Amino acid sequence: MATATASRLAVLAQRPLTPAPRRRRNAPAPGRAPSRPRALSAAPRGRVLCLAAPASAAASTTDAGQDRLQKVPISNIRNFCIIAHIDHGKSTLADKLLELTGTVQKREMKEQFLDNMDLERERGITIKLQAARMRYVMNKEPYCLNLIDTPGHVDFSYEVSRSLAACEGALLVVDASQGVEAQTLANVYLALENNLEIIPVLNKIDLPGAEPDRVAQEIEEIIGLDCSDAIRCSAKEGIGITEILDALVTKIPPPKDTSKDPLRALIFDSYYDPYRGVIAYFRVIDGSIKKGDKICFMANGKEYVADEIGVLSPNQMQVDELYAGEVGYLSASIRSVADARVGDTITHYSKKAAAALPGYSEATPMVFCGLFPIDADQFEELREALEKLQLNDAALKFEPESSSAMGFGFRCGFLGLLHMEIVQERLEREYNLNLIITAPSVVYRVNCADGETVECSNPSLLPEPGKRRSIEEPYVKIEMLTPKDYIGPIMELAQDRRGEFKEMIFITESRAKIIYELPLAEMVGDFFDQLKSRSKGYASMEYSLVGYRESQLVKLDIQINAEPVEALSTIVHRDKAYSVGRALTQKLKELIPRQMFKVPIQACIGTKVIASEALSAIRKDVLSKCYGGDITRKKKLLKKQAEGKKRMKAIGRVDVPQEAFMAVLKLEKEVL
Amino acid sequence: MLRLAFPLVSHLPARKPPPIRPRPPPARRYAASATATVSSSTSSPPSPPSLPPLSPSSAYVHLPFCRKRCHYCDFPIVALGSSSGTAPSRGEVADDPRIVDYVRLLLREVAATRPVSDDGVPLETVFFGGGTPSLVPPRLVAAVLDALRGRFGLSACPEVSIEMDPGTFDAAKLRELVGVGVNRVSLGVQAFQEDLLRSCGRAHGVEEVHEAVGIVTACEGLQNWSMDLISSLPNQTEEMWEESLRCTVDARPTHVSVYDLQIEQGTKFGQIKIQLLPPVTGHIHLFCAPQIHVLVQFGYTPGVFPLPSDTESANFYKIASKRLSEAGYNHYEISSYSKPGYECKHNLTYWQNRPFYAFGLGSASYINGVRYSRPRRMKEYAEWVQKLEDGTWSHESRSSDMKDMAMDVVMLSLRTAWGLDLQRFSKSFGKSLALSLCNTFKPFVESGLIIAMDMERQALPHLDFELDLQNEGDLGSKVAFIRLSDPDGFLLSNELISLAFGVISP
Repeated sequence: MATATASRLAVLAQRPLTPAPRRRRNAPAPGRAPSRPRALSAAPRGRVLCLAAPASAAASTTDAGQDRLQKVPISNIRNFCIIAHIDHGKSTLADKLLELTGTVQKREMKEQFLDNMDLERERGITIKLQAARMRYVMNKEPYCLNLIDTPGHVDFSYEVSRSLAACEGALLVVDASQGVEAQTLANVYLALENNLEIIPVLNKIDLPGAEPDRVAQEIEEIIGLDCSDAIRCSAKEGIGITEILDALVTKIPPPKDTSKDPLRALIFDSYYDPYRGVIAYFRVIDGSIKKGDKICFMANGKEYVADEIGVLSPNQMQVDELYAGEVGYLSASIRSVADARVGDTITHYSKKAAAALPGYSEATPMVFCGLFPIDADQFEELREALEKLQLNDAALKFEPESSSAMGFGFRCGFLGLLHMEIVQERLEREYNLNLIITAPSVVYRVNCADGETVECSNPSLLPEPGKRRSIEEPYVKIEMLTPKDYIGPIMELAQDRRGEFKEMIFITESRAKIIYELPLAEMVGDFFDQLKSRSKGYASMEYSLVGYRESQLVKLDIQINAEPVEALSTIVHRDKAYSVGRALTQKLKELIPRQMFKVPIQACIGTKVIASEALSAIRKDVLSKCYGGDITRKKKLLKKQAEGKKRMKAIGRVDVPQEAFMAVLKLEKEVL
Repeated sequence: MLRLAFPLVSHLPARKPPPIRPRPPPARRYAASATATVSSSTSSPPSPPSLPPLSPSSAYVHLPFCRKRCHYCDFPIVALGSSSGTAPSRGEVADDPRIVDYVRLLLREVAATRPVSDDGVPLETVFFGGGTPSLVPPRLVAAVLDALRGRFGLSACPEVSIEMDPGTFDAAKLRELVGVGVNRVSLGVQAFQEDLLRSCGRAHGVEEVHEAVGIVTACEGLQNWSMDLISSLPNQTEEMWEESLRCTVDARPTHVSVYDLQIEQGTKFGQIKIQLLPPVTGHIHLFCAPQIHVLVQFGYTPGVFPLPSDTESANFYKIASKRLSEAGYNHYEISSYSKPGYECKHNLTYWQNRPFYAFGLGSASYINGVRYSRPRRMKEYAEWVQKLEDGTWSHESRSSDMKDMAMDVVMLSLRTAWGLDLQRFSKSFGKSLALSLCNTFKPFVESGLIIAMDMERQALPHLDFELDLQNEGDLGSKVAFIRLSDPDGFLLSNELISLAFGVISP
């Protein structure tokens, strides 16, 4: 059972996570596998005495799978990853590879699928990566195949680049009924930059709509990859899997034998285990590492003792030593993933490598939002939850923030929108927190009159108009791939979002790549949803930061009964201020219950009112009769009314229901 | 046999305070003291009976029979149909057995109810409410009164009220009722427009209204009667409302009750009905899912046509207040007006948070600090009476806490023109609570929804109120009472009272 639980984990890798302190909403039924992280840490870790054993001539592939911990010569190691767009079948293919190599039994696979994590299953995406060591025998020669999984989303492109750097080759999986998508493209280019051998695989050839020839041609045209011997497979039906395994062995070069050099191991993932501290996944690039070695992380200079090392196959199994070319994990009583960052280099304390591996970078949050507990009592719980998530997610940043409308909460920074949504959902699902989430914002650079430049991600902290000379905002270059039918609507969308047209290329006769540069702030809302809906789901996109540019930005304030509501302040482009102001005031008027007096609701830039609504006073709220002295029902109603008031936030003298804030924040996400 | 009826007291040795309450319950203390203080100025209520506080001196009797259910009514009633009582009867007609059976049950309840104290505090008020009590033959009303007299005693000149509907009585019947001791009539006129009466499902028309008013005003020995009106009926216009008020004033009742229509769920006005209809034609085949027709019928929404808008209906309230005041009526409670001295004593029991007995289907009593509502279904009520007789019914003794008592006091006293006695309130529930209440109300004193008054019940400028508040040490040195203003404060009473609830139970 423990093996089963851990097996799929290792592959589809569910991003490692801390166990939720409370019951999750979709807690597994009793008797089912326990939630993953716990299972992982509780899994009995097999102990294998690893000597450089001679290659055993296993009778069958499946039997070979059972010997997967045995060492093979470095020339027989293949490290690879799978590049695929969402839904193009990466997970299914990985499952099949594990199954066919006997790494995981078929029975276990199924169980694993059921135990898949809610969030990922719903979104059909793999957020974080892990690895699996497989043994495959070809021509009576045993090979060690290490699959290193990659996240498929642009928010995690740094993580992707690090896991690519741990490989010598990649399977490029493209849905034969769909074609190449923008994200795939971005990751293929990353792989090519890392000099990876790329093996094109056309998946889902069993589908009636599959056009492997067309898609092969598309890959050749777009990426310039020879597709003459592209493998045609159906991971679901198990077609072409052996061919893939053979191609991995024949096409991907083995790692260089640098096991005599000083140790350099590249961390491509790490997660926090509440019982053992951080578990780091790494690929030994040079040298070798033994259990008990005193090691050093080169980016932060911290030293540890490798208490435990092992391989992922796919559950963690301890070994004594790992050599150059091998992939494994280590545990060294590390407190937080921030101390074992992806991209960092592990070396020996006593025999340090001359230089760290290239490519390390710190996480820089791109998108910010405020998170406030609906129930003020949950503030501490929210802090604890964020701290726990941070143990596992070095890119998550947060600091306390308070607001008159929402009380105490946190301003949080994320790598991108998906990252933000994932964190929000995990807080709500796994920690049972009810949150108000402010409109996401980006980091503005304010050039002040005194020559100073201030970075500001919180509209309420924007320097006064008199103190600032100009505001700059981050711009992104966005590449959208779309069937040609949707070019019009997509360009319209980009124009609406203050996009600056750069280029359009027909990558095939029927598909175009459109490139725009637009403010990141315009993208953090519902841009992606809009792109999807305007292209009936066919378009895909990819973006990268291109730097800061000065924009005509203003701070839009909302005043309720002449009281400014900081939480609702936003930074908008001057041209959009009027329509946004109108939409916000109208929404508030709809949602704020009438009070005992007239309430003006205004949107202002500075002191200038640009949109105004008025909530008329309640005319009448009276219960007339106490039938036969029965006051209980009346009292109940009044108590209910009093309870309702308690749930509201007082803005000056006005009671504003939480829902009004939430709806407006949602609206801000939509209209901004 | 009756010992278990009120376990709070009955289980204990006489005269010892119940051990679960270390101190005398403050509500009663409040109520007792309130009775002693509210009567000192022009607009004061008639001097309340000076009785020991724990003994109820009022009794409510529920007579649930109606000819049919009105469209706005969600009360426990028994609809008799048009056969019974439509023709004003002198009692020669055989009494409806349902009424007789019910009154029998009622008498059993009276007999099984133990007086709260043995020191013979008589009843000062009796109120026959309904339903349509005027459908009950006078001799049966007399029987109930006799039973009450026998069990609890009746004072020398008690107020005995009965609700009567036009078309259910004649002069003789009224005379008979007055003969057995009824001395106050509450006439359920509701409107003076044929269309409105019909559309709200009343069992009478305008002609019966005028006839009934004639009978009541002509009845010798009946000086005290109330006209009941409902405002904000469907399709009611301002002109209609003015007309009803004019007719009311012309009829010269001593008391007027004006109820704003409340749309209650489960009534014809408020219903939301979802009905599954069988397929119109054909058989239901075994393997063929029958087509299901769904009928959804929605009731009225307050403020939405055909009901008057909020603005209109607030206006109706203001017009009533204006017209009736002009005609010499005091607006002494949110929905009650009276000529000086003709306040409904029975209802004052409620507003002053004093205890009262109650008998009959669905009725609510307030005895020994406990409010209890009887079952609303006849069968369950009958079973309950049986248990009461057997001594097997005991009221779960919910210890009503201070907060609830403070809420009762605020909610009830702010309904009246006398308002809330701040000193009494702070004595009973603490100075800090009284202070925070005043602080919460401060903006409304300023805006005029709430009026601060001195000991002589003279309205004070809001600045005096604020000064008094700053002087925390002796709150109430100047401000003695606060009340809701008429009509604006009354109109927003729910808002203001629920604000106070929020202060009492944060």
